[in-house]
Amino acid sequence: MLSRIFRTTEVSAHCDLPCGVYDPAQARIEAESIKAIIAKVADNDDPDFRTRAVLIKEQRSELVKHHLWVLWTDYFKAPHFEKYPQLHTLFNEATKLAGASGTKGEFDAGKADELLAKIAEIDTIFKETKAA
Amino acid sequence: MTVIGVVRVRGRSMEPTLHTGDRLLVLRGAPPRVGRLAIVRLPDDSDGVRRPLAIKRVTMRDPADPTRYWVESDNQTAPGVTDSWTHGIGSLAREQIRALVLFRLPASYPGRRLARRVLRRFTR
Repeated sequence: MLSRIFRTTEVSAHCDLPCGVYDPAQARIEAESIKAIIAKVADNDDPDFRTRAVLIKEQRSELVKHHLWVLWTDYFKAPHFEKYPQLHTLFNEATKLAGASGTKGEFDAGKADELLAKIAEIDTIFKETKAA
Repeated sequence: MTVIGVVRVRGRSMEPTLHTGDRLLVLRGAPPRVGRLAIVRLPDDSDGVRRPLAIKRVTMRDPADPTRYWVESDNQTAPGVTDSWTHGIGSLAREQIRALVLFRLPASYPGRRLARRVLRRFTR
């Protein structure tokens, strides 16, 4: 009994995906969360929930940018940008879609879908570079 | 039945409230309270991998289903933050909330080494 009480259990206050691992899945999960938040707010009129949702959506949008920037600046190297000349534009457009004119500032499910599509394009290139 | 227990925190998602290494006294099986911290079992991830027991704040009841609870990380800027706002998680059922957090145990106090020695003898 005593041993059961005093055995220390570890509880996680940690993230899902390990840090230091490059994967567009991180940006995708946040973007999917944003899409889910937009849907939840659309069929909910609890004022506290909505206020909270606005704030969380902004923060998750910042996280999308963070994950994309890490890929852009740390994972992809000069030869990748030579082979895929559209890559810079893709990242620019994707981060813009997560910004004030995109999911951060607006409650538009269409923007979230566009963002997910851009991340999917980046993911395709990412997988090709991994396979190479 | 409620049983007292001790947990140790790992990770940054509850900063600045809690930090890695903090030890907390918890009440297993106790009902969640809105505003308080809880030890929760989040649903498996999209690959079917079991998530570890996690510590979250119970922030409200799910407005769409008042029998369920909404849980959040205190540190919303931690990359990879995983809570009710994360796609695929949402609100938790009562049975997914395993323990109520009572308070943080002090990292050090007079007689701590002696207390640990006594405890070790009893729990061996």
